[in-house]
Amino acid sequence: MSAQSSSSTDVADAGRVPRAGKRDVWLVFWIVPAFYTAFGVIFFALARVMPPPRPDVTTDQMVHFFHAHALTIKIGFGILVLIVGGAGIANGIVAYHMKRMTVGSVMAYCYLGAMSVGALPGCLLVAFCFLTAVYRPGRDPQLLALLYDLGLLSYVGSLGCFATAYFAFAVAILYDKNEIFPKWLAYVSIWQIVTEIMAVPVFVSKAGPFAWNGSIAFWLGVVVFGFWLSCVIVFLMKATERQPVDEPPLD
Amino acid sequence: MQILAEAEDLPKTANIKTQLVSLWTAPVFGVVLLIAFLAFPGFFPPMSPDMTAEQVAKFYSDHTALIRFSMITFNLCGIMLLPFFIVIVIQMKRMATQSHVFAYCYLTAAVSGATLFALADIFYLVAAFRPDRNPELVMLLNDMAWMIFIAPVGAFVAMNLLLGAAVYFDDGPSPVFPRWVGHYAIATALAMAPAAGAAVFATGPLAWNGVVSFWLRNAAFALFVVVMFFVLRNVLHRQAVDEGVAT
Repeated sequence: MSAQSSSSTDVADAGRVPRAGKRDVWLVFWIVPAFYTAFGVIFFALARVMPPPRPDVTTDQMVHFFHAHALTIKIGFGILVLIVGGAGIANGIVAYHMKRMTVGSVMAYCYLGAMSVGALPGCLLVAFCFLTAVYRPGRDPQLLALLYDLGLLSYVGSLGCFATAYFAFAVAILYDKNEIFPKWLAYVSIWQIVTEIMAVPVFVSKAGPFAWNGSIAFWLGVVVFGFWLSCVIVFLMKATERQPVDEPPLD
Repeated sequence: MQILAEAEDLPKTANIKTQLVSLWTAPVFGVVLLIAFLAFPGFFPPMSPDMTAEQVAKFYSDHTALIRFSMITFNLCGIMLLPFFIVIVIQMKRMATQSHVFAYCYLTAAVSGATLFALADIFYLVAAFRPDRNPELVMLLNDMAWMIFIAPVGAFVAMNLLLGAAVYFDDGPSPVFPRWVGHYAIATALAMAPAAGAAVFATGPLAWNGVVSFWLRNAAFALFVVVMFFVLRNVLHRQAVDEGVAT
């Protein structure tokens, strides 16, 4: 940080002045796109949760869904329970860069807390519902239908954890003077909150644009989330690039 | 550890003392959890996924009291291991030659992992609440209980890989942990990782009652807590001496 510091003083300073470097930040950063790529492959291609199967189907059709996709559900969600710690890492590095802002720590800790809680209802519960469903294909069809609803409603309908995290993220960016993230990313995050609110009717609506597979309740949210996530990854990269190598470790 | 009299009331002394309290939750609640583990009638041997719905229902009606004792104890005391893992976070944040991004990722993963641990025992308790329910329903609850208890190792695997990486990157003149702790953390992650297979396999070593998914996973976790207790005790002692609050 200081202009006087040069390589000749590094050795002398090493004992007194902590120098964090940022190779660890880069290591963690690259886990983020790797994790979300795996996440996308699992939810779209393997577990068939995206796009979600329809809510307005008969019990027999729900049973058929689990029978038809049993193998890929096992592969996809079996891998997810192993790598889901990647979500903690992806949220942890955002909290880390939020703590580098000039806004105190409160929003970083809100983001960390809300996202940690959200992993279970928003991502893992559907995995366990579907894994339980395909674990015993001969189960009573009514029970498979229950797991179908429980899994999909928890996945699409987990709203508040993420709305809280986006709120903290947006407020932190708007007050930050270090320009860790661009101001417009705060407004994209506010649109993320709007999509969570637009998904409220999934608990009531069984068909149409507000159902859990609907154009507004689901697809609008997916599009905004995809855009938001791409921006977050790009700007995490830029924030890490711009971070001074001799920045001291965080408090 | 002997706290110096003149340092007794300093904030940095309180920082050491609260970490010691958190550290000692591990052996105290570790013993409680071990008793709960030994008391559960379905762990010796672990219940097989092959059991029929009627057998599962009979298990819950035959052993209701012990199941309740064991799982209520897990419910009440399981998350009391969290303070122990938070001491690891605090020590990761003392590492001088890194940014502390590992510590925040570790904390986030630890909280997510704890939510799953807190959920699994509820399923056992709901199954035991009305064991005369339709046996198909008892089996559904039992399946979810076992799966959520054994399979979700992802958070712990990530935590230990982060701890390992943090130890390797802590390569300044005074590292917090000895280097073998990094190797050991990663070895524990690798030993626990295959238990994710319990979500998929119904027979063999990866099934939830298998040698790998049940015994290796749980033994590796328990051993990690025991080993890290002694490691952290030494680390805290050195921190106290370095900060001039103890001898």
